[in-house]
Amino acid sequence: MLELRGIHKVFETQGRRKHVLRGVDCQFRRGDSVAILGRNGAGKSTLVRIISGAEHPTRGEVVRRMSVSWPLGFSGATHSALSGADNVRFVARIYGCPVQRTLDFVREFSELGDDMRMPVRTYSAGMSARLSFAMSLAVDFDCYLVDEVVAAGDSRFAERCRQALLERRGRSTLLLVSHQPDLVRTFCTSAATLHDGKLTFHEDLDQALATYHAL
Amino acid sequence: MSGAAQGIGLFGAMRIQAQVIGALVIREMHTRYGRENIGYVWLFIEPMILAAAIGLLHSLSGHGLPGGLPTFAFYVVGYTPFYLLRAVLNRAAGSVVQNAPLFYHSRVTVTDVVVARSLLEGAAVMVAMAVFITGIGIVTGEWPHDWVLMALGVVSLLALCHGAALIILSLTVLGEQNVERIVHPYTYLSIPMSGAFVMVWWLPYELHWWATIYPTVHSFEMTRAGYFGPVVPYHYDVPYLLASIVILNVLGLLALRVARPHLEA
Repeated sequence: MLELRGIHKVFETQGRRKHVLRGVDCQFRRGDSVAILGRNGAGKSTLVRIISGAEHPTRGEVVRRMSVSWPLGFSGATHSALSGADNVRFVARIYGCPVQRTLDFVREFSELGDDMRMPVRTYSAGMSARLSFAMSLAVDFDCYLVDEVVAAGDSRFAERCRQALLERRGRSTLLLVSHQPDLVRTFCTSAATLHDGKLTFHEDLDQALATYHAL
Repeated sequence: MSGAAQGIGLFGAMRIQAQVIGALVIREMHTRYGRENIGYVWLFIEPMILAAAIGLLHSLSGHGLPGGLPTFAFYVVGYTPFYLLRAVLNRAAGSVVQNAPLFYHSRVTVTDVVVARSLLEGAAVMVAMAVFITGIGIVTGEWPHDWVLMALGVVSLLALCHGAALIILSLTVLGEQNVERIVHPYTYLSIPMSGAFVMVWWLPYELHWWATIYPTVHSFEMTRAGYFGPVVPYHYDVPYLLASIVILNVLGLLALRVARPHLEA
């Protein structure tokens, strides 16, 4: 169970304050698959980073009673000077996973092969995404935060991601940030819209998408 | 393998933190020294080069030291821990920015990163020290009087610097860009005050109290006492040192707490 209580996030740069999240209260239970919809700049990425623990709210708290993945979807989580394999080893060690087994899984799922020994800075965007996603699947989190990563990588990889995420449905929670309605429909059973710094839940996907388009 | 965090209790949490810090230490080594075979060796060769150079310069210049302490050993025993002080303080400000990708993982906290760095620097300096001691011992036949006391001296210095590093980092995160610019020259300008190359007993008696206000003096005196033994008088106060360590680290953790909402990954 993952709970957000009174989350506020204010960014202050160069004397200007931007109040991005204005009191987000919600609960995500195991097995939920929720899409988070919102305009560009609504604060979706900020919300995801706060949920993952990468960023801290200005006010409020996040209560995590399940393991949460890092925000999947951009290469920010890997260290570019290290090789793919060393990144995997690091992640395995942090989360207490057997190192060799994790390496084997990632090598196989990402299909990176010998490129695993090269530094991540030499990877293409697609390769980085495959590495990051494969690592997160290897650790087997209770909750996956996905920031439209399934857009990167070729169709074969996208299909494997789809399969992997669908296979985890029911036992893992999925929070998907996306603009694409078909992605939302494939993976999610409910959706929430982020607007004016507040998160509004909709039980019906169509209603949610309609609300989002009306924003 | 699930990374579930439910109901693990205090020991579970400590075990996880130890795991994370271990992973961070390995990662820091790989990042800084690469994977080539010779890479790790630079970890302790770096401090040794400068310490040896300074030791040689002073012993070749022919000037003696009060109490007849061996010159080369004195400067090496002073410079090697001082390198630790400089390394930990100078790297403190960049800890968050340089390691931005790490914080995407909820298990990795800023404290973990700073602790991992401190441990790595501490281990490197201790290996360097051990190599010097062995070398000096083999060549001159002089061995440390009490190596445990020496180790405690270095560890206490590390603990002091760790607390200071947390404070420096927090100030930098809170937007004080100039903190780093002050820290770098400070580590040089504070050399006389730090006690690395000056022993308290050299100073006139009236100045002894003033000289021992600065906490690192106690660490250096302890390290020297451990190496040279009771041939000269030492001035260090363990309770004062411990209190300084606790105060600095508590201040550091509090400062980090204040700075935390401003950490932007």
